[in-house]
Amino acid sequence: MIRFVSTLAATALLATTAQAATEITWWHAMGGKLGETVNSIVGEFNESQNACQLNATYKGGYEETMTAGIAAFRAKQAPNIIQIFDAGSATIISAKGAVTPVADLMTENGVAFDKEDYIPGVRTFYADSDGKMIGMPFNSSTPVMYYNKAALAEAGVEPPKTWEEFEIAAPKLAEKGYIALSQSHGPWIWSENFMSRHNLPMSDRNNGFDGPATKIGYNNEDLRMHFHKLKEWKDKGWYGHYGAKWDDNKVPFEKKEVAMWIGSSGSFGGLKDTTDFAFGTAGLPYWKSIVPGEPLHTFIGGAALFTFAGHEKAQNECVAQFFTHLTKPETQYFWHKETGYVPVTKAAYDLAKTDGYYDREPDAEVGILQLSEASAEWNKGYRLGFYPQIREVLYREYDKIFNGDVTVEEAFNTIEEESNELLARFAKTTGM
Amino acid sequence: MKRNQFGHSPLPYLLIAPQLLIILIFFVWPAVQSVRLSFFLEDPWGLSRSFVGFDNYTSVLSNSQYHSTALFTLFFSAVVTVLALGVALLLAVKADGIIRGAKTYRVLLIWAYAVAPAVAGMIGLFLANQHIGPLFPLFNLLWDFDNKTDSADATFWLTLVCVWKQVSVNFVYFLAGLQGIPRSVREAAALDCQSGFRRFWTVTFPLLAPTGFFLMVINITYAFFDTFPIIDTLTRGRPGGSTFTLVYKVYKDGFLGADLGGSSAQSVILMVVVMLLTIVQFRFIERKIHY
Amino acid sequence: MKRGVIIDHAILILGVLFLITPLWMAFASSTYTAQEIARDGMRFVLGDNFIGTWGDLLTGAGSMFTESEGKTGEVTAVSGLLMLKNSLILGLGFAIGKIAISMLAAYAIVYFRFPAGPFFFWIIFSSLLLPLEVRIIPSYEIVAGLGLVNSYTGLILPLIASATATFFFRQFYKQIPEEMIEAARLDNAGPIRFFIDILFPLSKTMIAAIFIIMFVVGWNQYLWPILMTTDKEFNTLLMGIKNIIYIMDDGKTPAYNQAFALAVLSVIPPVLIVVLFQSWFVKGLTESDK
Repeated sequence: MIRFVSTLAATALLATTAQAATEITWWHAMGGKLGETVNSIVGEFNESQNACQLNATYKGGYEETMTAGIAAFRAKQAPNIIQIFDAGSATIISAKGAVTPVADLMTENGVAFDKEDYIPGVRTFYADSDGKMIGMPFNSSTPVMYYNKAALAEAGVEPPKTWEEFEIAAPKLAEKGYIALSQSHGPWIWSENFMSRHNLPMSDRNNGFDGPATKIGYNNEDLRMHFHKLKEWKDKGWYGHYGAKWDDNKVPFEKKEVAMWIGSSGSFGGLKDTTDFAFGTAGLPYWKSIVPGEPLHTFIGGAALFTFAGHEKAQNECVAQFFTHLTKPETQYFWHKETGYVPVTKAAYDLAKTDGYYDREPDAEVGILQLSEASAEWNKGYRLGFYPQIREVLYREYDKIFNGDVTVEEAFNTIEEESNELLARFAKTTGM
Repeated sequence: MKRNQFGHSPLPYLLIAPQLLIILIFFVWPAVQSVRLSFFLEDPWGLSRSFVGFDNYTSVLSNSQYHSTALFTLFFSAVVTVLALGVALLLAVKADGIIRGAKTYRVLLIWAYAVAPAVAGMIGLFLANQHIGPLFPLFNLLWDFDNKTDSADATFWLTLVCVWKQVSVNFVYFLAGLQGIPRSVREAAALDCQSGFRRFWTVTFPLLAPTGFFLMVINITYAFFDTFPIIDTLTRGRPGGSTFTLVYKVYKDGFLGADLGGSSAQSVILMVVVMLLTIVQFRFIERKIHY
Repeated sequence: MKRGVIIDHAILILGVLFLITPLWMAFASSTYTAQEIARDGMRFVLGDNFIGTWGDLLTGAGSMFTESEGKTGEVTAVSGLLMLKNSLILGLGFAIGKIAISMLAAYAIVYFRFPAGPFFFWIIFSSLLLPLEVRIIPSYEIVAGLGLVNSYTGLILPLIASATATFFFRQFYKQIPEEMIEAARLDNAGPIRFFIDILFPLSKTMIAAIFIIMFVVGWNQYLWPILMTTDKEFNTLLMGIKNIIYIMDDGKTPAYNQAFALAVLSVIPPVLIVVLFQSWFVKGLTESDK
């Protein structure tokens, strides 16, 4: 009888501890295979401890996820953690009081946090102008160039480091029946990272870090020159523009119509599954004529995790615990291997190196090496308001340049005018 | 209104209450919010806002992209309406004229009414996909078709999918309209005009005009609003922003772009447009009822 | 004359083919594997993977994304049956809810003289002015404020806030002969008796017709359910469609066979209802709008 009662008591106790697990929610934009990798990280976290139960929900693309977060916050139904993409960083970081900076969250909950643990390109992008990290870098990527090894060998060319070299290689590839190049994200690759790689200012006010920017930097001689070249290359059959969607431009590379494709370092894992040929990875080419010395590191792409303010202390503790789990070298290394996104901490990078991962897969290191290149004034990051809409303007005008509706000059005048208008509107909404 | 009604009692209030309540909570209040927001500039999170008067309206109405979106919406609506009505009318006249198999044809022509616009959009997306779609190579035999980069091709394909989705509804109405024409009229017409074509234009067409006009309003409304899921699945306004309709732009700017003030102003402008459409529709419908 | 008939049939057959071919190809393509479709494109003739594709879709066993096949044990796909169930709940809940409140409201508007009547009438009819897509954020805030996120009520009620069915019933009631109500008066029947004994039986066909139309409208809801629910348990078939589009935007290749099967699955129930009850449907559509 006594034993029976004690079992009963024990079961009751167990039941209460199970109930007492603090539930936290995370809205993310990782679909497909990435979503499955996210789920296994979340599952690992939930099994590793009893105090917290993390529920991860796929909310669609980056834009939809951010919008869902905004709507939920306005309705006081915000999740604990939300994944916000690079272009949305101004939107979320300028929302004073809406998010708890990750640096504060960690220290408040007694977790050691040192931003120096993070690799340079990652450290600055989601930080405020004083360098305090607001978002926890999560899926971090950077544009890299994939090339079809057989195609390049057939034409007898090396993967170009600079666009000058590209201009020599492209006709040889064309001769063998290949379109030399395509790329999958006009705003990210041809605009934002064109600026970072060549150390050009994206906008006034320190790329928007010092306060709401009012003038976009895109309408400059160098970028216009680049687009004149792209148009010329397209007309010569060296460059393919297959549409605005990511896949439109990737598939021709997979089908061996295009010899080189610029995508994300995070595309690596997927590309291994969808191609049946050997491909290599190289850095994003740059114009020697613009940066005579070494090129600069590119912007970090992808997204970061932000913590909405206004949740219970117990939940914040769980978020801090999850972030600790997420940034553990083992978790980061697993994520890096599975997806191709770069590890965000130095420790994880070291783990991958000592494990010999880059000896086996040298291509996997290209992204992180590129992010570790020289820092300069203008490649820390950018903080521009309504930037998702500015990206739409870029998409639209680039489509028009390539189908011949407008000249490069006309397109960039429109881009400048509309972007500045959007920036001004955003500045007014934040009341600064 | 009925001349013969029940007298005053609390009952009608009870009967109308559920609907009224739902409309007030889920329509009137959000709509009022939209109107109010259109006079403010607000940050996406609702943390701060400032009154800007008609600024949102002037900036929307002076935006060249908005102008081209409005023009596209008009053009697109006109083309979708004309084609969807034309195809449906032709099919209805033929289905009305034949004796054998009329019922089978009717079934085979109305089912598409039930297909969700989003599904039509997705199937359309795949059919014209350059890698797996059979129509991509087929169109390319005829001309240099590329709906991903060419505005005209994208518009063409979007229009075709939208027409596909709307033919069934129009067919149902036209067929019912045709079958409502009295036998005596038809027989007289058959005696008077030997040519089927002339008979159609002189007798059938005028008798169908009321149905046609009513359908025109329905189709314009469809092209304005109900094509939203097709655009969202098929083009997302691309390429080069050439396939944006006004509704899709409100969604894109306000929902995805988090510019609440600007998109609310666009919503209010749309509301005025729909009000005009509704007035036309109502006046017409009321007249038809009292004939 | 004979040639004319042949041409008539030819035109009709062309029309039928125009409508049916896309859906047929979607179905035929769903009977192949994802890899076969990715490699050789959509198909006209049936393949031999019908059971494979549809089994995976209905049970949620297969992933929607080719890239993950055979990669990890964890599968995020929601089963097709669950989505089917949610779509059914949405379609039925929307149709029934809308008919119930609209019938009553239209009854009050047409058969009662009360001072606030015309004013209420215009308030209700104002809801025809602005579709949900363009007032979505304020609508969401209200639903969330009422604590209805992730609930069928929150999913369905805001969609009901539209006057289309009220409009149909109002038109229908107005066509009912005046003698009916006079006869009721002579029998000393009150408004409730009149509604139950006379109006409701008379409206049966109309109710059936509007039910079909509203079921299709509810079933086909696209944007609202996506914003309103964060729990996979509430996924509808149309949300599945939207997810496939997201995946493609993200640069992933979807499992085409399952995408096509999902499209066909999401079309079958509403099409069946329209086809099986077509005479009601046609009657409802054409007579209510007059």
